[in-house]
Amino acid sequence: MVTKNDFEQINEYVWELPQAFDGRMRVPARIYGNEDVFDMAFRDQSVEQLMNVAMLPGIVKYAMAMPDMHQGYGFPIGGVAAFRYDEGIISPGGVGYDINCGVRMLASQIDYEDAVPYLKDLTATIFRNCPSGVGGKGAVQLSNKDLDDVLEQGADWAVAQGYGTRDDIQRTESYGRIAGASASTVDARAKERGRPQMGSLGAGNHFLEIDVVDEIYDADVADVFGLTRNRIVVQIHCGSRGLGHEVCGQYIRVLQDAPKRYGIEIPDRELVAAPVDSREGRDYLAAMAASANYAFANRQILAHFVRRSFEQVLAGKVRDWNLHQVYDVTHNIAKIEEHQVGKQRMKLVVHRKGATRAFAPNHPDLPKVYRETGQPVLVPGSMGTASYVLVGTESAMEDTFGSTCHGAGRMMSRNAALKQMRGEQVRAELNQQGIVVRTDSVKGLAEEAPYAYKDVSIVVDSVVGAGIARQVARVRPLAVIKG
Amino acid sequence: MGRWQEIEHTADLALHLWANDLPDLFATAARGMFTFIAADDGAAPTRAIPVTLEALDVETLLIDWLNELLYWTEIEGLIFTAFEFERLTPTHLTATAYGKPITEYGKYVKAATFHDLAVRATPEGYETEIVFDT
Repeated sequence: MVTKNDFEQINEYVWELPQAFDGRMRVPARIYGNEDVFDMAFRDQSVEQLMNVAMLPGIVKYAMAMPDMHQGYGFPIGGVAAFRYDEGIISPGGVGYDINCGVRMLASQIDYEDAVPYLKDLTATIFRNCPSGVGGKGAVQLSNKDLDDVLEQGADWAVAQGYGTRDDIQRTESYGRIAGASASTVDARAKERGRPQMGSLGAGNHFLEIDVVDEIYDADVADVFGLTRNRIVVQIHCGSRGLGHEVCGQYIRVLQDAPKRYGIEIPDRELVAAPVDSREGRDYLAAMAASANYAFANRQILAHFVRRSFEQVLAGKVRDWNLHQVYDVTHNIAKIEEHQVGKQRMKLVVHRKGATRAFAPNHPDLPKVYRETGQPVLVPGSMGTASYVLVGTESAMEDTFGSTCHGAGRMMSRNAALKQMRGEQVRAELNQQGIVVRTDSVKGLAEEAPYAYKDVSIVVDSVVGAGIARQVARVRPLAVIKG
Repeated sequence: MGRWQEIEHTADLALHLWANDLPDLFATAARGMFTFIAADDGAAPTRAIPVTLEALDVETLLIDWLNELLYWTEIEGLIFTAFEFERLTPTHLTATAYGKPITEYGKYVKAATFHDLAVRATPEGYETEIVFDT
């Protein structure tokens, strides 16, 4: 069994398990985090899961885990792994069931003091306009043709229908549309699940939050991002809903015999994989891209209904109630990217499962508006705690394929969390801190309580310490809508 | 009659299952899963969903079965409480799942996963662990 002593400390924030530790590993495994974070990694199966990733064919450099790592299924959450496009694999389990789960941030010109009197009303209006919870229908009903267009056009489709602006598209990772998406690779059942859910938050750890910017660390970059101290912002955290879950499940099932067919050895069946350039690999990539596009459109539409809610409640009461998009990131995805590996420029498939892209300044994939600053990285904290806006760095490009953390990272099971406190108590505590809470599931509040997660500031300190992101701003919550 | 026990998992849900035979295993896995998803109000089932599945091995068949039920839960808002297996081999399933509308939702289960999945034959029947993505 792997222990802390098997790792070598590379620096204050990086720990490495040598490839020689297990003959099946093809590359070393690296954990990012300070000593506390590193210690926490051994409380569950996440290190074993990371080692499994290091055993997959075509992996380059390292199997990596960000400081918000915890046990998942297949890959650990917080996992980053890149595979050669020419002789590597693509693994649906390296993306997860919630394909393109991600975060969108919208910023306003509204000062905290001007918003406070309307917070309850604002929260109730958003709760009404943006469906959430289990079993709910979305805000927008799609025809079969609409859904196919969503799958191939992503956020572009939503904007073309009047849900948002071209500027939103500029401020969305991959411009809200992953290339190579094909509606025909998504089967009827996935479409049946996705059709009624467009424009819905879902349940579990998904949320919609109204925050106030309470700290600026880099004034110049914050200015470009449109973030000002004491102003109101909104975060939307959700993904591809039932459509993405069905697509992941289907391809994991389809690929169950692929390892045998292609002679790929896998240490865990959830890690089934196909060569990137095989029929199954190409089909999965096209279906995954389509699911990701669904998620981009979903967040685009939710953003529209948040804007409408702001207008309904605040028009005539504050000077400017508009919300402009800061950015939209995906944290469950596999992407074809070029990176420097040693002296070689390589075409890779970068899997980020519970990890965020963090591209450095001047990266050609960034929109003009963020070319000089680098990519905004949105790191939501646990419910009721602060969230951070970071920016990508050159070190992230060199060390982690342009990747960094995605959130606080769970450390307590849902049951353990439930044993600590009841949902009503959690609500009362949040209310005491002045945070308005709306949810369909009071029990769910206890499962998502802040104590079930790592302290997000330790996670952020770790990625900043490791140089794989820089701090720009911090926001604190005023109102939470929990799915 | 099979039984299950929840296993602690940092982020997701997991069950340890024991069963006398294959039909018992498949029924127990479904019952265990639905205890997460919805409260059983005790009413009699009102829907009968026929299910036919082919898979390359028993693990795949088990996960297919659970995800098939999750599909109906999401599309029609059903909880399933009784199961009849007309034919069940390690690679084939013909069954009827009896369900009714959910009156009180619990947790949202995205999928049953293949994580570390192995169905083991024991002197008493079968044993396995299943991780659910939530």
